[in-house]
Amino acid sequence: MPKKNLSPRLRDQTLQEQDGLQRKNPPRSSSQLRRGHFFRALFLRPVSPDSSPRQKDNRGILAFNTLLVVLLLSGLMWFGFSRLQYTFMWENVWIYRVNLFNGFLMTILISLGSLLLSTLLGVFFGLAQRSRIHILRIFSRFYIEIIRGTPLLVQILIFFYVIANALGVENRYTAGIVVMSIFSGAYLAEIIRAGVDSVGTTQIETAKAIGLTKPQTYRFVIFPQVITRVLPPLAGQFASLIKDSSLLSIIAIKEFTMAAREVNANTFSTLESYIPLAAGYLLLTIPISFLTKRLEKRFSYET
Amino acid sequence: MRLEIANLTKRFGDNVVLDSVNLTLDGINSLVLIGPSGGGKTTLLRILAGLEHMNDGNIIINSHCLNCPEQELLEYRRHIGMVYQAYNLFPHLTALQNIVLPLTQVHGMEKRAAEEHACSLLERFHLAEHAHKHPAALSGGQQQRIAICRAVAIKPEYLLLDEPTSALDPEYTSEVLDLIEELHEEGMELVLVTHEMGFAHNAADYVLFIADGGIAAHGTPKDIFETRENPRVNRFLDKVLKYTS
Ligand SMILES: Nc1ncnc2c1ncn2[C@@H]1O[C@H](COP(=O)(O)OP(=O)(O)OP(=O)(O)O)[C@@H](O)[C@H]1O
Ligand SMILES: [Mg+2]
Repeated sequence: MPKKNLSPRLRDQTLQEQDGLQRKNPPRSSSQLRRGHFFRALFLRPVSPDSSPRQKDNRGILAFNTLLVVLLLSGLMWFGFSRLQYTFMWENVWIYRVNLFNGFLMTILISLGSLLLSTLLGVFFGLAQRSRIHILRIFSRFYIEIIRGTPLLVQILIFFYVIANALGVENRYTAGIVVMSIFSGAYLAEIIRAGVDSVGTTQIETAKAIGLTKPQTYRFVIFPQVITRVLPPLAGQFASLIKDSSLLSIIAIKEFTMAAREVNANTFSTLESYIPLAAGYLLLTIPISFLTKRLEKRFSYET
Repeated sequence: MRLEIANLTKRFGDNVVLDSVNLTLDGINSLVLIGPSGGGKTTLLRILAGLEHMNDGNIIINSHCLNCPEQELLEYRRHIGMVYQAYNLFPHLTALQNIVLPLTQVHGMEKRAAEEHACSLLERFHLAEHAHKHPAALSGGQQQRIAICRAVAIKPEYLLLDEPTSALDPEYTSEVLDLIEELHEEGMELVLVTHEMGFAHNAADYVLFIADGGIAAHGTPKDIFETRENPRVNRFLDKVLKYTS
């Protein structure tokens, strides 16, 4: 674009001219224009329909900018720590590495278990809100509102000490997975319901007109579209699930956060105990973002 | 096509849209419904398509009785074609996949055979180059023509169309109407709701004027558009034709 080579002032002028040509109303003042331009640059990247080849061209710029961001963040951290004058004593924490690692494994185990179970619950209650059975609809509504409206901490306590106790569930890990699944399932149900609702009624009418049965309509028309739309919020919910599992420490499940807290109590090396914690959670949540981005690409159909 | 409507009544709550409608027609190849907005054309067409249950009365079309349970209606719908105003195509499927879906899932065709059949149809209607595009990448006229292809791909007994051109930019109207005309000339039986009076005049064997809770007038295109005996119809036609030469 030739515009790039112009001085900022000139560029504004040309912009103004273009703007004046396109609209009948008088051109806005240049400061207003600049603000509009700034806003567009900030948030409104143009979407090109063929984004893949373009992205390849920009690989160098991407690497450079990524490096820049990393450097900036590292610099900020370094500055903070230098002001603190904190001496790291990693040796103390290293002694407890097995405890930390076991906690990490426990968190993975609980997360995987509740990821699967909560997906089942979420799909079931998401669809149940459209059930023909009235009581099931009401039950789903109650479930979602109560779970989303109360603190997880309270849910864990009540589930473990009241419900699991009454049902004779002895194993606290099972109880932990179940309560996390119930909690996360309520959010997933809402995400899935919204996704299904977003498929327009005309499409469901069309499916009916071409003679698809109800299950076929879900399989061939609704689900393929819902998947692309719910993947991003699902990824967010799964990441939350992993982090929220740290609350299970109150029923004495030795998961990652609990392990870090114990290491801290034993070594008094707070940062050395908690920095690995942050890194460990990132290690779990980043693959989820990555995976969903890839799935999104695979399922996306809008050209 | 043989059509027998007896005492057909359809209500939405307190709103009686069709009130004890009676009509018998035989040997009609193309039936066109016209009338003012809100008159009940879409409602009647949807009942004919087996998409809406009637409150009272009955319709017998060819050999099909339409006052029947949903299971039988589903079976009935599989043998007729229906095209709406717009958004007929599934946005997550390509044009080809849209046509193939009912063939394989509803009519039990093999995927290969279905694709070949769909391709030959697209070819015939000069749409072959769009076979692998998604609806978002197609013009409104192309979308409607592909929707019509999907409807005729199953070799339906007859084709029902609800204002297939009224959501289109005017420049695309004729390509869709040409396609309908072509199908009609090949012997496809049609029931069509339209505001295109010129097309109705040319293509219809018989015209129903739907207003005021039923069939306010009916007759051959000659009766409706040339003789013009019914003042209610004339008022409507004057309004519709005001800006067409
Ligand atoms: N699903 C529905 N629920 C309630 N009322 C409806 C429904 N469908 C149609 N109606 C009502 O029935 C009447 C007839 O509607 P219909 O869509 O059949 O008219 P139409 O002749 O097709 O009009 P148009 O030319 O605007 O498409 C209208 O008063 C409308 O409000
Ligand atoms: Mg209508």
